[in-house]
Amino acid sequence: MPLPIILASLFIGPSQTASPDAIFNLIFNHSGNTNLVQSVVFDVRLPRILLTFLVGGSLAISGCSIQAIFRNPLTDSYILGLSSGAAFGAALALAYSFLPVQVSAFIFGLIAVGLSYFMALKNKNVSIVSLILSGIIVSGIFTALLTLVQFYSDPFKLQSIVHWTMGNLHNANWEKLQSSVIPITAGVVVLFIYRWRLNVLALGDDEARTVGINPEKDKLIILIASTLAASSAVAVAGIIGLYGLIVPHMVRMIIGPDNRQAIPLNFLFGGMFLLIIDDFSRTLSGFEIPTGVFTMLLGAPFFIFLMKKTNIGWNS
Amino acid sequence: MEQLNYAIAVSNLTFGYNNSLILDNITAGIEAGKLTFILGQNGSGKSTFLKILAGLLTSQKGIIRIAGNDGSKLSYHERSKLIGFLDQHHKAIFPFSVEDVVLTGRAGFTNYIPKETDKAASVLAMEKVGILPLRRRNYTELSGGEQQMVMIARLLAQNPKILLLDEPTTHLDFLNQSHLLNLLKRLVSEGLTIVAVMHDPNLAFMFGDDFLFLKDKKVIRSSDSFQAWDIEFLETIYHGKLEAIPHNGRALLVPIMN
Repeated sequence: MPLPIILASLFIGPSQTASPDAIFNLIFNHSGNTNLVQSVVFDVRLPRILLTFLVGGSLAISGCSIQAIFRNPLTDSYILGLSSGAAFGAALALAYSFLPVQVSAFIFGLIAVGLSYFMALKNKNVSIVSLILSGIIVSGIFTALLTLVQFYSDPFKLQSIVHWTMGNLHNANWEKLQSSVIPITAGVVVLFIYRWRLNVLALGDDEARTVGINPEKDKLIILIASTLAASSAVAVAGIIGLYGLIVPHMVRMIIGPDNRQAIPLNFLFGGMFLLIIDDFSRTLSGFEIPTGVFTMLLGAPFFIFLMKKTNIGWNS
Repeated sequence: MEQLNYAIAVSNLTFGYNNSLILDNITAGIEAGKLTFILGQNGSGKSTFLKILAGLLTSQKGIIRIAGNDGSKLSYHERSKLIGFLDQHHKAIFPFSVEDVVLTGRAGFTNYIPKETDKAASVLAMEKVGILPLRRRNYTELSGGEQQMVMIARLLAQNPKILLLDEPTTHLDFLNQSHLLNLLKRLVSEGLTIVAVMHDPNLAFMFGDDFLFLKDKKVIRSSDSFQAWDIEFLETIYHGKLEAIPHNGRALLVPIMN
């Protein structure tokens, strides 16, 4: 199913030169401005399409896993401070260029989630409420630090920082794809292996212990894998708001909560859906609308709808 | 103590939350192949005692031997083969189907993904408990009593040697309470050891083989339902006046209000 969308996306874009006609000409007649068309399709569009797919898939799959292990359908890795940590890391690198932006965003994203986790750790146990509260604190700290970096940056750097935080995939290339493929794949494979364990863990810690599962150990492994996948995605694509929270719900509405199916489907559906959103953001207006803005505007009403409809589960 | 007959043997067990002592230096045994009920006032530590036996709480002092093994040395996985535990209440978040909930009882048998044998075992468990018609329903949409039966089926799918049940009859109507207790008796006759916390002494004396009473942080054991007649003893357990009404050679207990 994702293949036709990937193929169709190859034909979509603001470039007049690489219009669908020109691409057909390239494929069937080998005529027209072949080199230029080829380069638009293979060096600009294809890496972007693949990267968008990976980013969407990994945000969705990690959101689904985090919702299951914290038994809360309204969480995702962003709520644990990932996005603000990554944004601070990226800003720091953009302003002082001591590290590649992507690496710095990745590291600070991991640091933020790690901080949230250890702040919430009490008697070897992590409760949902304390984790969400520590996530809010950690997000607040990194947002404050981000503001500080922005305050001391010159206007030119400030612009690139703001651009980064808006989340866009327009500067995707083969190198970015290459650097994120390994950590994303590693995270996704672990989550795929643990997909049924998520069902066991979603019933509660004691319910897992009594059937022979060590919930602390399993939750830590799943948290690390989801953070790895999500922070690699954030590092290359910027902040794509609410995406990891909403896609798992859409998948659950389609096939139900059994993670044996939901985990693989989140990856496929999450990838496809972000690709469709990205196709729109590339073509709706003369200039590109940042993808993060798009998902946030679509996601916010959906989130409110969910909040009204579902049990948040904070009292468990 | 005749160690061999005990499925669970507790010696010198002491437990407290922060500074309040709940269980004080308890020594007690639970015989294998019997249906043992734990009775006592609200707040007497029945659930705490059961959770310690299940390995979900760690006692400050004392040794628990489970089927001859030192309880503190068992991993979750090893323990799950010996002991199954039913909590007083279970709150579900995601609307899993009944069969998916029951299947999680097999977690100790599978590496990562349940096999056909695991699915067969959970179908068998649902059949035993009588909830097979509910298998495709959402767990979250069931009544409290039905959810209770689903969690019991999950326990049977786990297939441990000892079942610890915290108030298995709550949420059930009075006829279903008898159905469940009959099922427990049948399971015991098939070789299981069952320990259950009960609120209703009448039901307990009707079905139980063995009784543990919790009082003043201590456990008092009795292996004879003559206790049902021993009004004075039960009055000290429940701190209230009781009356015994003869019924079919047994007694029904009724509290007397003043």
